Amino acid sequence: MDQLFDVSLFASALRMLAPILLAALGGAICARVGLFNVGLEGLMLVGAFAAIAGNYWTGSVAAGVLLAMICSVLFSLLLGYMSIHLKANVIVVGIALNFLALGLTTFALRAIFNVKGAYYDKNMKGLPKWDIPLIKDIPWLGDLLSGHSILIYISILIVIGLQFYLFKTVSGFRLLAAGENPTAARSLGIKVSRIQYGAVLMSGVLCGLAGAQLSLGNVTMFTEGMTDGRGFIALVATMLGQSNPLGVAAASLLFGFMESLSIRLQGFALPTHFTMMVPYVVTLIAMFFFKDKGYLQEARKSNESSR
Amino acid sequence: MFSLKNIAQSMLQPLLAIIAGLAVGAIAILIVGGSVGETYMEMWKGAFGSFYFLTNTLARATPIILIGLGVALAFRAGFFNMGSEGQLVLGALAAAVTVIYLPGPGWLRMIAGLLAGITAGGIWSAFAGWLDARFRLNLLIVTLLLNYIATLFTGYMAAYPLKDKTGSAAMAQTVMLDKAAWLPKLFQGMTLHAGFILAVAGTLLLYLFMKHTVKGYEISMLGGNPLFAGYGGVQRGKLMIASMFASGGFAGLAGAVEVLGTQYRFLDGALTSPGYAWSGIMATLLAGSNPLGTALAALLLAALQTGGMGMERNTDVPLEVSSIIQAALILFVSAKLTLSFIKRKKARSKNGSAV
Repeated sequence: MDQLFDVSLFASALRMLAPILLAALGGAICARVGLFNVGLEGLMLVGAFAAIAGNYWTGSVAAGVLLAMICSVLFSLLLGYMSIHLKANVIVVGIALNFLALGLTTFALRAIFNVKGAYYDKNMKGLPKWDIPLIKDIPWLGDLLSGHSILIYISILIVIGLQFYLFKTVSGFRLLAAGENPTAARSLGIKVSRIQYGAVLMSGVLCGLAGAQLSLGNVTMFTEGMTDGRGFIALVATMLGQSNPLGVAAASLLFGFMESLSIRLQGFALPTHFTMMVPYVVTLIAMFFFKDKGYLQEARKSNESSR
Repeated sequence: MFSLKNIAQSMLQPLLAIIAGLAVGAIAILIVGGSVGETYMEMWKGAFGSFYFLTNTLARATPIILIGLGVALAFRAGFFNMGSEGQLVLGALAAAVTVIYLPGPGWLRMIAGLLAGITAGGIWSAFAGWLDARFRLNLLIVTLLLNYIATLFTGYMAAYPLKDKTGSAAMAQTVMLDKAAWLPKLFQGMTLHAGFILAVAGTLLLYLFMKHTVKGYEISMLGGNPLFAGYGGVQRGKLMIASMFASGGFAGLAGAVEVLGTQYRFLDGALTSPGYAWSGIMATLLAGSNPLGTALAALLLAALQTGGMGMERNTDVPLEVSSIIQAALILFVSAKLTLSFIKRKKARSKNGSAV
């Protein structure tokens, strides 16, 4: 047991946390304005690819992250245009975008880097690691909290910022109103579709960061379909966290821990299937307790009929 | 005359979407410096170029058709069943286990395997329907969650308790099924198996069921207007569980057919990595949940996939062009939904505000 639960397990849980958390926050904002964003997986994959491509072209990590955000935002714009402007079913568009992202990134891998499967350059620098000055000297805590990529600390700041924005500012309340009851919000002069666009684009930014953390933070390479269902885990974290930033952070922490535990168990050649199953089972059980949420009912109404 | 015009109109939108999808694919081909005409020619050849390739495409279409029919049935009833993947793998595993452990003659075990696949997929799907009908849990989310639970569970079963220890391959798979219980091949030396006949029969049966039976009408009514259906005496909960059972049954049958007709064992990932379930959902969306249209759309998607493989063998254009075309198709088709939406809105405002 000591071998299993050591400090590096918890530190790796923090590393696994960041991509899930960032994407899940994107999903949470969309859910708050009444859009069920199934396309998180695709947005994240585009971000992961663009981060590597930007880094490859410019040799700068910052440019890579920036390009990741830009590409994800462009992709999310497509989602917004189809679902808000053209009123296409947002779930259908999300599914199609996931496919498009998988196809496009693999295609671009061939077209730009001329490789199949994965691109790896040993000279490429990943996201810088940050050693927190005082904390890194504390014995156990230092190993746990210090020395992660900057995006991990940023993601925690975003959680706090978003919690404040949604529940303490006027424009945050308008965003909530647009999701809770669009008709009432419209009658008050709130531009609902503009807010929805804003939320979708914001989820694009966050998914771009999530992808960059995946391809430049955890490793420094791009592999075909490297998100590997993390976008869907993020979606599940959004649901478990009730689209509440702090709740989403707690859910993502649980899922990140389960992921790192699965990787650890794999090292001991133990079955990982059940640890990997935990996020889904927990969420399913949690759905019994939190089902009477206004905005979920709204989302349900708009999604129940598929035609 | 009137119905002919209707048919032409309903065909026009998917055709436009196909043309637009191919145009997007052409842009991708030009980017990698391929010749569009030549590439599409290779794609056509890879899908339909010879009898072998044609049967290959039909074999790939088989599970997609069956899954698509299941999803179409659920869509018709107004339920977004995204759980095909889980229902598919559970059906496949159930079929494999039945054939491995059941004594008796081969044909009996084959039929039992198919029935076990239908039952396993159906029960898993009906469970999601029951959670919605009884506890009002969102069906879409539940089916999505159940997918992962089912794939991980079958992955565990294939990797540990049921693992084939006789062979040298270190893969997560069950033992090879007894040859007597295999679904027969339709042609000597071709991949096409009797499952295709089941898929075609399923298509026709579902079409007739939806069109000519009371239950079929009740299902469409439930999907079209749940309140009216309730007023007319349709019990939402019961019908929901029943139609979800049938929907999952189709997906389970698809899994069973793949195990008994193509792989002859349950191999972890063999059904999930080609994305059969998502292709089935795409086929349904493409055809607007019409059973006959779904089968055609499934064939189209299968042809794009096998054609893409042919294209990759003979040109420098990567396989992924075909997944780009598929995704573009769906995007254009979902924009079609929009066009009809706008039309409806206009008609509404013309007749005064009816709603």
